[in-house]
Amino acid sequence: MRFDIDTYREIADSLVRNKRRSLLTGFGVFWGLFMLLFLIGGGAGLKELLANNFSGFANNTVILISSNTSMPYKGLKEGRYWSFEYKDVERLRQMVPELDVVAPMISAWSGSVAYESRTSTAGVKGITADYDKVETSKMKYGRYINEMDVEQERKVCVIGKDIYNELFPDGGDPCGSYVEVGSVHLQIIGVDFNSGNMSINQRASRSVCMPISVASKLYHRGTTVDILCLTGKSGVKMTTLEDRMRQVMARQHNFDPKDDQAMLILNTQQIFSIVDNLFRGLNFLIWLVGLGTLLAGAIGVSNIMMVTVKERTVEIGIRRAIGALPQEILMQIILESVSLTTIAGSFGIVFSTLMLRGLEMIAKSTFQIGFWTAIVAMLLLVVLGVIAGLAPALRAMHIKPVDAMRDE
Amino acid sequence: MQIELNNVHKTYEGAQPLHVLKGVNLSIEKGEFVSIMGASGSGKSTLLNILGILDNYDEGEYYVDGHLIKNLSERAAARYRNKTIGFVFQSFNLISFKTAVENVELPLFYQGVGRKRRHEMAMEYLDRLGLKDWAGHYPNEMSGGQKQRVAIARALITHPQIILADEPTGALDSKTSVEVMDLLGQLNREEKVTIIVVTHESGVANCTNRIIHIKDGIIGEIEENREHKASVFGTETIMK
Repeated sequence: MRFDIDTYREIADSLVRNKRRSLLTGFGVFWGLFMLLFLIGGGAGLKELLANNFSGFANNTVILISSNTSMPYKGLKEGRYWSFEYKDVERLRQMVPELDVVAPMISAWSGSVAYESRTSTAGVKGITADYDKVETSKMKYGRYINEMDVEQERKVCVIGKDIYNELFPDGGDPCGSYVEVGSVHLQIIGVDFNSGNMSINQRASRSVCMPISVASKLYHRGTTVDILCLTGKSGVKMTTLEDRMRQVMARQHNFDPKDDQAMLILNTQQIFSIVDNLFRGLNFLIWLVGLGTLLAGAIGVSNIMMVTVKERTVEIGIRRAIGALPQEILMQIILESVSLTTIAGSFGIVFSTLMLRGLEMIAKSTFQIGFWTAIVAMLLLVVLGVIAGLAPALRAMHIKPVDAMRDE
Repeated sequence: MQIELNNVHKTYEGAQPLHVLKGVNLSIEKGEFVSIMGASGSGKSTLLNILGILDNYDEGEYYVDGHLIKNLSERAAARYRNKTIGFVFQSFNLISFKTAVENVELPLFYQGVGRKRRHEMAMEYLDRLGLKDWAGHYPNEMSGGQKQRVAIARALITHPQIILADEPTGALDSKTSVEVMDLLGQLNREEKVTIIVVTHESGVANCTNRIIHIKDGIIGEIEENREHKASVFGTETIMK
């Protein structure tokens, strides 16, 4: 097959000769590719939107919460309440060396915060400096709670974004100001702009964090702690540590190691894996629908090419009679099919990128498909064109020169 | 002997097998101008298809220039059709969406001749057939005679040794029929091309130098017709 300009003119001629038919056939492919790319982009953007909710939260975090026992153990009745204590931090570190951070927390579920005449309701947390590694802060002003704050029981706090907006509607750096939390005045040392929706106790944006030592005194907790937040060293699967953590705590606090209700273990990995599974399912659907539509378009092309070949029996017969090789006829039909799918598909790519760009203006996420996705889509179109053209082309190839004379 | 057929048989398979050619023996010399005449159903078109390597035969031998033409590969058959044989059809068989010059160019396209050279040659041939001004016209803008002349130009452009014409005047009026037959005769004299015309019109056959009658699948009488007086009707014109 010679690829001079006439080869392309032949193709263009035969596509243009039936403008409406080519247009309608091409639309099937155009729509198929648009659907595929738009759904891929949309799915990715949606996933990112959802992932924003988890931002700033270490994804291998486990939270331990003490609760009433549900089994009698060593002469102790069921239904007994127990609490973590400060020493458990050290115990867990030593007994379970795979842990990276063990951060105790005292949580006053809800408390009022006041600055001058304005008040707001916040989740009050007593934390250590390590907590920053569990729920990563995004400091807008000032700094986070550090070890010295905890050690010296400094009456300081870090406030969340929403609290800041409510107490300081005029903006500005609030560090150094005093807010009233419960019955004490705490000096603001930082503002945390972390806006993730996943959190312990209260979202970071609605929290007031103070050194755990201060909270302990303020809420009369003595040596007890409400919650332990743990993260694993990188590569450690937290689920594999759950049994050992339960045993360590059971021995110390005298509850049955088989008593699952005595200590609640919340594993963020499970939540992440649920979301992951959800998107895996969604992706499957996207590919199914997208490729299905595209395939339907390609079958349409194949069908029309079949009709075209039938219509052009005489023409193809003439070509054969004056010396065209069967493979030249084969190539001509396949090239026509490939041209139809690639041209229509290119419009699909352009249209879907435009639509995704539009989506990006509305929603804050990355919807746009990647450059390489577009390249792969382009290759896919060529392959589809060849496949769609194959059956009609084989049929055309078997047209004999005598057919030109018979069919008049 | 340029064309030689020995005992060629052809049967069309079907619900009722049709034995069309029942042992055709025929030889045609280089540079002859012959016609094959017969009623419809006599097998003359089948014979032409076999001569043109458009169709296969079942039995016997067919030689072109001493080469046996039997069960050729598609590639070899396409080569013969492209280079050795030129076709002129009753219904012209021009490609309707191509202009006259593009139609004439087409055999050269399949020979791999360059675009510019192709165009020059096609124009040259159209000019020789007096159609230079019609080069850019589509077949449906031309008269039957013009179309047939374009078809003849297309057949000639590859310098074939043999031109096969299947009822070349079948769709033309008597005046243009004469013109076309004169043109073929002229080509035969000037270019020494072997021309084989299949027809059922005695007037057309009368224009040729030898008339081969075919009847019921076998060759009947072969008339020498140097004087062009074979047909009682055909001495002056072509009867329609």
